[in-house]
Amino acid sequence: MKTLIRSCALAAILAVGALPALAQAPATPSAGRLALTFEVGAETGAIMVVLFDSEAAYSGGAPVRQARVDVAGGQRQAVFEGLPAGDYAARAFHDVDGNGRMNTNPFGMPTEPYAFSNNAVGNMGPASWDRARVAVSGDVAQTLTIR
Amino acid sequence: MTPSRRSFMMGAAALSAAVATPEMVRAAAAMDAARDWSLATADMEADVAPRAMRLVHGRAPRGLDGVLFRNGPAKFRRPGGSATHWFDGDGMMRAFRIHDGQVTLDARFADTAKRRHETELDAVVTPGFGTAGDSRARVGSSDDANAANTAVMVAGDEVWGLWEGGSPLAMDADTLATRGLVTLRDDLKGMPFQAHPRYAPDGTIWNVGTTGAQAVIWRLNADRSLHTAQVIPLPRASYMHDFTATERHIILVLQPWVAERQTMPFASRFAWRPSLGTLIMVVDKADLTQRRLCELPAFFHFHLGDAWSDPDGTIRFDVAASADAQFVMEGARILVQGQGVVPGEPAHLALVTLHANGRADMQTTEAAAEFPKGDPRRAGLRRDLTVHVAGERAGRPLATGIAVRDWSSGRSDAFEFGDDHVVEEAVFVPKPGATAEAEAWLVAPSVNLRQGVTELHAFEAGKVADGPVATWRADIALPAGFHGVWKG
Repeated sequence: MKTLIRSCALAAILAVGALPALAQAPATPSAGRLALTFEVGAETGAIMVVLFDSEAAYSGGAPVRQARVDVAGGQRQAVFEGLPAGDYAARAFHDVDGNGRMNTNPFGMPTEPYAFSNNAVGNMGPASWDRARVAVSGDVAQTLTIR
Repeated sequence: MTPSRRSFMMGAAALSAAVATPEMVRAAAAMDAARDWSLATADMEADVAPRAMRLVHGRAPRGLDGVLFRNGPAKFRRPGGSATHWFDGDGMMRAFRIHDGQVTLDARFADTAKRRHETELDAVVTPGFGTAGDSRARVGSSDDANAANTAVMVAGDEVWGLWEGGSPLAMDADTLATRGLVTLRDDLKGMPFQAHPRYAPDGTIWNVGTTGAQAVIWRLNADRSLHTAQVIPLPRASYMHDFTATERHIILVLQPWVAERQTMPFASRFAWRPSLGTLIMVVDKADLTQRRLCELPAFFHFHLGDAWSDPDGTIRFDVAASADAQFVMEGARILVQGQGVVPGEPAHLALVTLHANGRADMQTTEAAAEFPKGDPRRAGLRRDLTVHVAGERAGRPLATGIAVRDWSSGRSDAFEFGDDHVVEEAVFVPKPGATAEAEAWLVAPSVNLRQGVTELHAFEAGKVADGPVATWRADIALPAGFHGVWKG
């Protein structure tokens, strides 16, 4: 049935590039905290995570936070601290071979694992904001499967 | 109630009770039952545990020992939403195991992401070939929509359930338990691996997968490991379900059902453009950049037979060809509805000849035909015989018989089961130690509509008109499958 997904868009949206190590903003009094723990299928490379605070940003704008989880170094968690209370959504991909980008097959489909907050799955493309949206108020923790 | 039965009953009501006897009513009902082909697209609610099939005709042929694996859709309807196209049911792998003259049948659903999600919702929600799906679908990659429902290849102690737009799904050959999607190499994960691999005389397995006007040409070693995969451009974005091959060439038949938009369901992308004609692309196996094109008038097809080449370079192959795309767009929907009339004429067997001078022609026979298959000992090599299912006609969808065409004599050797059967694809099973083309059995199941059960038949390849040499009967009916493979 040929390639079902408009894959290039998916790859581009997920490709967050090389990112600095765990980026954290200073906590504020009303801060929320989102901890994402990853269940991985490979022990190598790193997971790149980007966090968005609005549907507009999630649909192609700039993330409010980003993180790099050093899977090869034993890390499995990205923690975003000091988030103003509100709705957020995260996209992540596992850069298994550590080449700094999301690999795709010759037809443009991702070949490295990816995930969205809520373990959301899309419908013919990336998971929508509605599916991936997480209300952050206080401490929120999720375990995401990325394999 | 069909129109014929209704008119009979109305007629009967107009007659006196003495004339319209209960026997007549029963006879009319039986005629209806014979026409009720909907068992062929019924739902299976569960896996089928191994069970014996009973010999009900003839004798088990000595030396016929092995397994016929067959795949096909077997669950279309759920309370919260249903598949609306024959190609979108959940794949169920069947195993007809023949040993020492005894036959058993077992079958198991492919445990796909699609089936898991839809089982949880009790609704078919995933967009497919012809099924729109809805907003509850979870499709992050093509394999999330993979129904693993089309065909099967043997791979060591596994069978691979094949679809058209995604990866093979490995299943245990003994238990049919799903093991998982097959990735032939990490950088090729999710590439489409279509349902009709071609087996070359040297053991190499060739296959294709397409997206738009590109195809990946898969080349596997005899042990099913990857040799190479190479993407080639196509001259047009035709729908391609099958391809064929000679010993030296890959042959891609580019029909004028062409993708023109990026919509779902998948079939909605294509438009029938008969003025474009049919293009045939011949690609050199040794150098996939070397290709030539031939042209034929427009026809629609799903299935091709194995190709061969004459000493002068002339290439020949058979095709089950239709006049247009009505079946894929409308007929396959009616099959899932289980009632109504499939429009248009059934496909007919034809022989395509590509002459060395670039000219192409096509000789269409009078035989209604689908699922053309040849002798596996001669795949890619010169052969005379093509087995196909037969008997489909306007007003009665699906096959009712089986036939062998001898291209050298032009004769057809056919057996007709009648409207009580939906006959499924037959495979060629060479007799042990034999080499002649006709020294083979043809093994095919049918759905016996009158008895409400699945049967398995074995024919002598050279004596089809004599009828099956053996028929075994199950105590249940499985819906008609698509494609199978024999493991001796």
